[in-house]
Order: sequence, then C-alpha cells, then structure tokens
Amino acid sequence: MESSRKQRWKQLQSTFEPGFRRMLVVSLLLHLLLPILYQADWFPKKGPVKPPVYRVNLVNKIVKNPQAGRPEAVATKPKPSPKPQVKPKPSPKPQVKPKPIPPKPTAKHVVKPEPTPEPAPIVSQVQEDTRLDALAAIKAKLKKQKEEQDRKDRIAQLKAAAEKEATQVASPIADAPVGMPEGKGDEAGVSAIAFIRELIQANWKYSPYLSAVSNPEAKVRMFYSTDGELQHYEFIEKSGVQAFDDSLTRAILQSKSLGQPLPDNEPIIVIFNLKEMLDLR
Amino acid sequence: MNFLRTLAFVLFLAFFSAATVGSVEIEISSPGEQTIPLAITPLLPIDGVKQGIAEEFQQVLENDLDLSGLFDLVDPASFLSDAKKLTLSSTEVDFTQWRLLGAEAVLKGGYRFEGEKMIFELRLYDVISRRLLTGRRYIAKKEDVRRIAHAFADQVLLSLTGELGPFSSRIAYISNRSGQKELYLMDVDGNKPLRLTAHRSIVLNPDFAPKRKELIFTSYKEGNPDLYRKEIYTGRESRLSLQEGLNIGGRYSPDGREVALTLSKDKNSELYLIGTDGSLHKRLTKHFGIDVDPSWDPDGNRIAFVSDRRGNPHVFIIDVHTLEVTRLTYEGKYNATPAWSPKGDRIAFSRLEGREFNIFTINPDGSDERQLTFGPGSKEHPRWSPDGRFLIYSLDRDGNKAIWIMRADGTGARRISAPGGDDTHPAWSGRW
Amino acid sequence: MQNWSTRLLLMLFVLTLLVAGCAKKPVAEEAVVEEKAEVAVVEEQPTAAIVEEQVDEAAAARAAAEEAARAAEAAARAGLARIHFDFDQYLLTDTAKNILENNAKLLKAAPVVKVKIEGHCDERGSDEYNLALGEKRALATMNYLVSLGVSADRLSIISYGEEMPLDPAKTEEAWAKNRRAEFRVVL
Repeated sequence: MESSRKQRWKQLQSTFEPGFRRMLVVSLLLHLLLPILYQADWFPKKGPVKPPVYRVNLVNKIVKNPQAGRPEAVATKPKPSPKPQVKPKPSPKPQVKPKPIPPKPTAKHVVKPEPTPEPAPIVSQVQEDTRLDALAAIKAKLKKQKEEQDRKDRIAQLKAAAEKEATQVASPIADAPVGMPEGKGDEAGVSAIAFIRELIQANWKYSPYLSAVSNPEAKVRMFYSTDGELQHYEFIEKSGVQAFDDSLTRAILQSKSLGQPLPDNEPIIVIFNLKEMLDLR
Repeated sequence: MNFLRTLAFVLFLAFFSAATVGSVEIEISSPGEQTIPLAITPLLPIDGVKQGIAEEFQQVLENDLDLSGLFDLVDPASFLSDAKKLTLSSTEVDFTQWRLLGAEAVLKGGYRFEGEKMIFELRLYDVISRRLLTGRRYIAKKEDVRRIAHAFADQVLLSLTGELGPFSSRIAYISNRSGQKELYLMDVDGNKPLRLTAHRSIVLNPDFAPKRKELIFTSYKEGNPDLYRKEIYTGRESRLSLQEGLNIGGRYSPDGREVALTLSKDKNSELYLIGTDGSLHKRLTKHFGIDVDPSWDPDGNRIAFVSDRRGNPHVFIIDVHTLEVTRLTYEGKYNATPAWSPKGDRIAFSRLEGREFNIFTINPDGSDERQLTFGPGSKEHPRWSPDGRFLIYSLDRDGNKAIWIMRADGTGARRISAPGGDDTHPAWSGRW
Repeated sequence: MQNWSTRLLLMLFVLTLLVAGCAKKPVAEEAVVEEKAEVAVVEEQPTAAIVEEQVDEAAAARAAAEEAARAAEAAARAGLARIHFDFDQYLLTDTAKNILENNAKLLKAAPVVKVKIEGHCDERGSDEYNLALGEKRALATMNYLVSLGVSADRLSIISYGEEMPLDPAKTEEAWAKNRRAEFRVVL
C-alpha cells in the first residue's frame, strides 16, 4: 500500500517536473489564505441570515411573501368591533388598551397554533368578537370594583410599555395588519422563519441554574416538510453541556409540528445560546 | 503521504465551512422559560398507610427543589389520573397526561414498611423523552423521612445538572438562645437544630473540617479567645491553639492538614498557619495593620483576608508560598468576611455602606463585582454551599439576627434558622 | 499521540494515588492540654495579740501605709474610668488621654493592684476585625499607661470585640458608648 503510493508519487514527480511540490505548497497556502481573508474585517461579509427578533403570534398563518405589518398582531381588526354598545360607560381609558400591549418577554400566553390550517377569516372574526364581548363584560364588572387601583396600574403599565416599545424595533404603523415589518409581499401572514423561531423558543425551557458554564452554544439543523412536520433534526455542534443539549432536544421534540403547512421546505439551522438571557440577568 | 492527506483534509474543511455559511440560520439566545415545569406527585403507600409521611416528604423535597431555582412546580390541582397510580418504571407512566399539563419532568414514588424499616421507592421521569432520569430506593428508619427527602433532592439535581445537590449537608452556627453564645448544628432547611457546646461563655466563628466530621471555633471558655476543635459525634473537644491574645477566625485548609487563623501573640493581629496538632507552621503576614478573616482558595495556594493596611478594611489575597500580597477590593470603605467559592471562581464578601452590610461577589482577579443583597437589614458572614450553588449569611434586621440562604446570584433568599435567639456566623459543612 | 496520552493518564493516575495516599495518613492525635487553674491562696489576716502593746512608731507607720494602700486599691477599683474611641479607630482621643492620666495616678498610688484592660467595639463591622480592633484599643491604652509610668507587668489585655456591648441599641449614642476600653482589677 505504502510503497505503491510512493511509487505513484515518484511517477507524479517525474511527470510534473521539480516545481510540482512547490506548486502544491503555494496552492495550499492560497487556499488557507482565503478563509483567513474571509474572516478578516476588510472582506465584505455576508454573515448568517439573522432576521431581527420579533414576537410572532403563533395563531398567524405562515406565508411565503408576507406583507408589511406586525408579526404579533392578530388576524382580526384590533380596533373595537362594530358593537361598542356592550361597554356600559365608554370611559376613555380601556380604549387605549386593545392590543399594542408590549411584546411579553415570555410567550406563555400564546397557546398552541390553531388547528385549522386556513383560518376562515369570517369565522375567526366572529369568534374574536364574541371573545371580546365576553372580555368587555367581565372587564366592566371588575372595573366597578377596583377602578382606581386598576387605572393607576394600567397607566404605569402603559408608560413602561411605551418606553419599551420606543427602544425596540418599531412596527411601521401602530395598528398595522398581520405581516412582517420588512415585508414586501402582499399576503397576510408571517414568515416561516419568524414563526418557527417563536415556536421553538416558546417550547425551550432552560434554567440558568442547570449549569455553571456561562454561555453554552449549540447548532441544530432541522428539516420541516411542506405540511409543517419535523422530518429530521441533527446536532451540527453540541454545546458539551449535557443539561443544555438535553433541553434543546426537549424543545425540538415539542416543536415537531408547526400545525400548519409551510410554503417551502429548506433546512433551517438553529443556533441556541444564552446571550440574551445573560444580558438580562 | 501525510502531506497529501493533510491537504485533502484542509480542502474538505474549507468546503464544509463554506457550505454551512450559505444556509438559513436562526439564533435563539434565550429560552422561552427559565424554569423546568416539574410535577411532584404525592408519595403513594405500597402497603400500609401511615399518616403524615407523604406530606412531610413532599414538604421537604418541595422546599429543596424550590430553593434550587430550577423548577416551576405544576399545580397539583390539575393532576390527572396518572398521579394516583404507582408507576415505578417508565413504561407504565402515562406521559401524554403529563405533557398535556405542560410538565417536562414528573417525580413519583411510594413507600412501604418492612418491620422497623421503611422503604422508599423514588423516580424522576423525563416527560418529553419518556425515560427514567433517576431512580432510587432508600431503606431507613421511620424518623428519617426528612433525610431521605434531602438525599433524593440531591439526586434530582445530579440527574439534571450532573452535580449533586447540597441538601444532605449541615450548617453550623452560633446562637444565643440558651442565654450565651454557643455552637449549634442544623439541617440545610433549618430543621433539627442541635446545640454542640456548653461553654457558658462566648463561642465564635465555626468552620468545618473538609473531610472529618469535626469543627473548629473560638471560645472564651478559659478566659482567652482560644481556638477549639470538636468532633461532632463523639463530642470530644480540645484546645487547638492557645497562644496569648487572639486565636480567632480558624479556617481549615482544603486538604484539612493545616489551619489558617489570626494570632495576636506579637501584640498585633497577624495571619498564621498552624498544624492540626496546634504547632505553629508559618507566619503569613507581617504588617502593623489588622490582618484577619482568612479564607482559602480551593487549591490551597492562596488566602483571601481582611486588612486595614491601606487605611480602611479591604480584602486582600496572599500567596501562601511566596507571601506576596495583592489587593482585591477597591470599592467601598469597609469590606470584610471574604469567602472563596468552592469552585474558586468567585469570592463573596460583605461591605459596610452607611449602617448596613450587604453581600457582594467578585472574581479573584478583582473584576466583575456584583451586589447580591439589597433591602433592609445588615447581611454578614457569607459562606458557600459545598457545590457553590448557594450562600448562607446572617441577617440582622429589626434587632433580630437569623441565618438566611440564597442562590449564588442573590435570588431566592429565605430565612432558615428558627426564631428564638440571635443566630450568626453560619458555616456550611462539606459533603458527608 | 496515543503514547503521549497514555503516559499522561498514567502520570495522573499515579498522582491521584499519591494524593489519596497522603490524605489517608492519620493525622497525629492532639493531646488535650488542660491547665489546672491555680488555686488562689487567700492570705489569712494575722490575729492581733491581746497582751501589752509597745508603742512602735514603725508599726504605726506600716499600718497607716497599709491603710493608705487599701484605700488606694479601693480608689483604683472605684475610680478607674473607661475611655472611648472613634469609629474604626484605636488612637487615643484627648479626652481619653486625660482620663488615662487620672487612671495612671490611681494605679501608681496602689502599686499592688493588677489590671486587665478590655478592648471593646461597636457592633458595626466584622466580628473578627472588631476582635483585632478591640485588641488594638486595649494595647494602645496599655502603652499609654506604661508611658505614664505604670509598670507593664501589672497590666494585661483582652479583646471582646463587639461581643459585650454596654448598650445593645442601634443608635450613634449606643455605638459611641460601646467603643471603649475598660479596666478590671484582677488582684
């Protein structure tokens, strides 16, 4: 084996003249230089696609070309529906508080995606309206009981929300329809990436007390089929922290089904780390 | 031929990295929830019910696990039929029910009697991957329910984090509940307090031997602040250091073969190393200022201590071999009682600001100082749990001093010592 | 490569053995050193003879001197005043020095009296640091008395740190009261 290779090497040397070896070395060096240049700052870098982080409402539809709008909006008009008479006294305060509540840090309130793949707009709107009615009735009741305290709390909340909103990526319009802030298409819905990101994050439970390793990071490649089911996933890089990797497996297993079809099925690489969490702490 | 092989390898790597850069990446940099939803089901009798056992077990375990900060307990009111079923293997558990409730882990168990003995069967399951995380059988006396709950809490942490919990260890402290300051011992949750000394004098500042079940402390029993040693179970006691003047702040070296302490036999407080037979090994400091409160790094090479050599009391670090002294804290005007973490990564200390002390931690190189405690009351004497997860300290508030515990990041603080006296100077044992 | 790692492993293994071996070495048992408290010998008062009495001027002088000494001792017991310190300080204030000058006079008048100087601190600050500080206070007090001519072998010191406050309140006044040096007559 070894000797035959040696022979072939000698053959090559004889055919390619004495400069061959040097040529190979130069070639190798050039190849090495390329990634170095790529890593260096002066080389125009494309970087991985990291869409800005939005809170996506998980009841929204995934579309290929989302229109401009808010990913956290609900598919119904956020403004009071055509029956405001339910409210006993149209006091000015509650109106302020329809939906632009600050994106909550946890997605707890977002329950499972709606099982109906195509939310028939009329049906859901009716549902939404009745829900709003019921809410309004309860709210009116509660209001009478502890109006003062409530109002104070709400003002404080709104103030905090306004402050928070100002620092975050602002939606183009306050009462924009469902869409993506940078959306250029014409479909009401959110992008697949934003949706999947939100779903996995909501399902990911990890306590900072699980490991003393300060910032573990892992990379997972995931394949969803067009009907929104997870076909396959693989760890490209493990963090090496058992508790961290286990928490990711659990999150992925719980995000097996998107609950709705995908416009196309390209593999997605998810990088998990704790940068944001550690900043908060 | 190595040359060609390396070349091929390099080219392969270059190709591979280029390929990954191209695809769509999402970065998720914080989990949706920072706790793990855990369901703790009540212990079930396997044969023979005994009132109170399941409740006591549950209470101790829940308290330990809550303190760990890892979990968010699933409301027992929402439990479905599987909670009432004794399932000691993962194939029998109805994981779908638990998943429906949002639990990621479920803890189940049962107990039975065998003569004078009690046998506990305890299991922790992963709901998502449907497997057993840890299973333990404990055979013990009937009064050992608390002990078993602590031991299993330790195992739960081991199975999830790879490191045993500290709940089976003990805490020593000084209390005046008998009228004088004496040495006491208690469980990590403050239960089973036990008085160890009857000196009827002043007992101060205990420290555990790293391996033996033994404590050292200072006492004025013979009129002078001498350093004593006491074996916990035999009760045997002796004077370890009785130099003229102070013999205070004794701290066992990590290997348990030496004790660092403050002696004032030179008419000034200096740090010394003595052997476990009381013989003087080495004088560490030589400065006209006050040098007190030694705390070893876990390697046994350096000692953090308090000195006023630069005016105000600050924390310094001395190299035990070269005796080179470096200053650790610069902020504040009064820093004291350093405690080096068992992993060596942080040093806790207390700082006087105004009328009250608060607890801080800092890296041993002096960077990344953080305040852990806020709010009313003076917090002193921080000491680490053997795994570095928790800190205990004494809190002096409204004229009452008590031992408190918190996580190493300052969250989850709670009182552990029972009311009925002033409790100070906590010390955490190693793993027994 | 493999050779290297096996060698490294082997070395680690041997090291572990060594460390384990050392750790198991029994630590020499420490003999309990218990000192027997000296039994104080109480001097019996000589009973006075009831026979005839010779007028002895020397004896009268002695008796007078004894009386004076007893009075001085009593005065010392009653009159040795405590001194106070500033926060985190062991330097003597002028007031403290005045008091000590008076104390020195009392002590010199009663040359048999031995005194233990106790150093105390307020409750603020670490207990250990305060023990050391209390000792510094006691020492500074003793040194000043010695400089005023009190014999050093009549003086001893002890520190109680913050363990024995005069006033347990958490006020500036209480703290000021507690930062002190006290004098205990031991003979």
